[in-house]
Amino acid sequence: MGRKVKQMDQEKKKKGFPIMQVIPIVGILISVVFIYLGFAKYGFWDTFKGPRPGFFPIIISCLMLVASLVALATSYKEENIEWPKENWILPLSVLGIFVATFVIGLLPSIAIFVLLWLKKFEKCTWKTTLTVFVIIMAVVVGVFVLWLGIPFPKGMILDAINN
Amino acid sequence: MENLMHLFEGFNYLFTLQNIGVTMIGAVLGLLVGAMPGIGSLAGVALLLPLTFKFNPTTAIIMLGSLYYANMYGGAFSAILIGIPGDGPAVMTMMDGYPMATQKNRPGQALLTSNISSFIGGTIGMIILTFMGPSLANAGLRFGPAEMTALLLLAMTSIGWLVGENPTKGLVLTMFGILLASMGMDTLSGTPRYDFGNIYLLGGIPFVPFVIGMVGFSQVIRLMGDRHKETQIAVKKLSIKESMITFHDLKRLLPPAIRSGFLGTFVGVLPGAGATTAAFMGYAVQKSFKSEEPLGTGAIEGIAACEAANNAAAAGAFAPLLALGIPGSGTGAVLLGGLMMWGLNPGPLLFTNSPEFAWSLIASLFLANIITLIIAWGIIPFLIKILSVPTRLMIPAITVVCIVGSYSTSNSMFGIVVMFIAGVLGYVLGNAGYSTAPAILSFVLAPLLESNMRKAFIISQGSLDFFYTKPIALAFMIILVLVILFPLIRLVLTKAGVMKKK
Repeated sequence: MGRKVKQMDQEKKKKGFPIMQVIPIVGILISVVFIYLGFAKYGFWDTFKGPRPGFFPIIISCLMLVASLVALATSYKEENIEWPKENWILPLSVLGIFVATFVIGLLPSIAIFVLLWLKKFEKCTWKTTLTVFVIIMAVVVGVFVLWLGIPFPKGMILDAINN
Repeated sequence: MENLMHLFEGFNYLFTLQNIGVTMIGAVLGLLVGAMPGIGSLAGVALLLPLTFKFNPTTAIIMLGSLYYANMYGGAFSAILIGIPGDGPAVMTMMDGYPMATQKNRPGQALLTSNISSFIGGTIGMIILTFMGPSLANAGLRFGPAEMTALLLLAMTSIGWLVGENPTKGLVLTMFGILLASMGMDTLSGTPRYDFGNIYLLGGIPFVPFVIGMVGFSQVIRLMGDRHKETQIAVKKLSIKESMITFHDLKRLLPPAIRSGFLGTFVGVLPGAGATTAAFMGYAVQKSFKSEEPLGTGAIEGIAACEAANNAAAAGAFAPLLALGIPGSGTGAVLLGGLMMWGLNPGPLLFTNSPEFAWSLIASLFLANIITLIIAWGIIPFLIKILSVPTRLMIPAITVVCIVGSYSTSNSMFGIVVMFIAGVLGYVLGNAGYSTAPAILSFVLAPLLESNMRKAFIISQGSLDFFYTKPIALAFMIILVLVILFPLIRLVLTKAGVMKKK
């Protein structure tokens, strides 16, 4: 039974997203783009002016191209990795904050994120939720807004009201 | 001896109630701002500059000096406790500080190691500044593009120590970091480069959001799996006594701290090198010395080497600033602006025309160093309380710090975008066995290396002879070749039976 589960796990891993190959391939693409733009747009060497803006990036891109090709060749010996879906909730939440910032501003977006995260996602008690919320917002507002005077974006709604 | 007398005179000017008071305020504010990820010493000093307007020039610059100095201490706090470097130099501190605090359950000792090393490095830097400031500044001026290129190439080889188990993967990310750093305006020709038509990329990829994302945010994503663990570590007692290091720890800490103190001061004097390069080199040099535990696993030697180097560099940077009027870093430029605002012209005549000002500033650095150490020591029990907070509560808190810190560096949403992309990238790469440290470190050093290398080529009209016709550059190149060939030499010597097999 245990062996069967192990076998199924291994098959799942093999079928999963081939990240070990994707990373070197992306590396190859990046280096090709940098080499192309370096030669075509920025130049490598000028007889009178010496090294051009593309000089250093082209050399580095060539090295990256070789390293990525070697990494790709050796990647087939490596096992794929599992990516727990739960871990992606946080980046998605930050994306949510980013989008919400344009509408309601950064500070309210952060406040809503903290409250929702603690109360709905972590299922904390109201006491814990509010305590953590007050500490986080006190640091953000007290240090960054009041003391350091960072002008955080206010969002479309507040901007419209102010205008 | 004459300089020592001047220093005592400086202390004489310094010891007024107002000056001691502002030194203390500067130290506390500097620590706080330094500990905030995303602010760093440059933004910290710039943001707090208006606070000094109310004082006379001497008092104002004393406050600014202590602010700048305490900033160097503060950067390590968040790096050690939550794995997010407060500023550039703290990236190296995090390598050993964070594992020592979390995996070895010695957060108090990690913080104290950082504080004591900062103090030792800073004190060495200030003593050198007092006695050799002007001559050191002149020596720094002998480092032209060729010498800087050779020095930076030598520094680059140390990335090899950080590539992890797979050198090919490490090489890919080293090159990736350099390419990222080459995006934005080309500093020599003023040509926009690899901006892909995006107005935000014209200024390049901002360093602090990039580091916050690569190191901090990626780690929070990884922490999602450990959400239901009670705490990251078990913090038993929260007292200063519990945070004390043992005599054995002190013995381990002293050699790297003293070595890095001298090295950091020298790097601080060099134009444009700065505290981050110093911390990086201090750590790299420590790699070639014996450490009780491997570096990167929470070794005291690792924390001591980079913390002492960055604080010594902060002191060393004052040599060209005061003696020649040349700022060695962005923060130095802000300090220079502050000096000029009060009608003082740093340069060879500063020590003759305004000795009370120049020497009380140096004396204030000594005082700030002591005061900051005491304050930083005193707040350790409160700081390590952070580690007893359950992971599920830390996740939203660190996420907010990442977002706010990234925004604060540029006052733009672009900072958050960079942090987010770097974070996801760091998470994916880390899981796939790619160590992200080489990318961060090459990102820091690449702009310096590129501009110096290109200048050297322009001066030598395309010839490579600058590597061997200039004595300083030649010396660095010989060391570089030896460093590269050392594994091969060791292999040959081991086979010949001259060296013992490890």
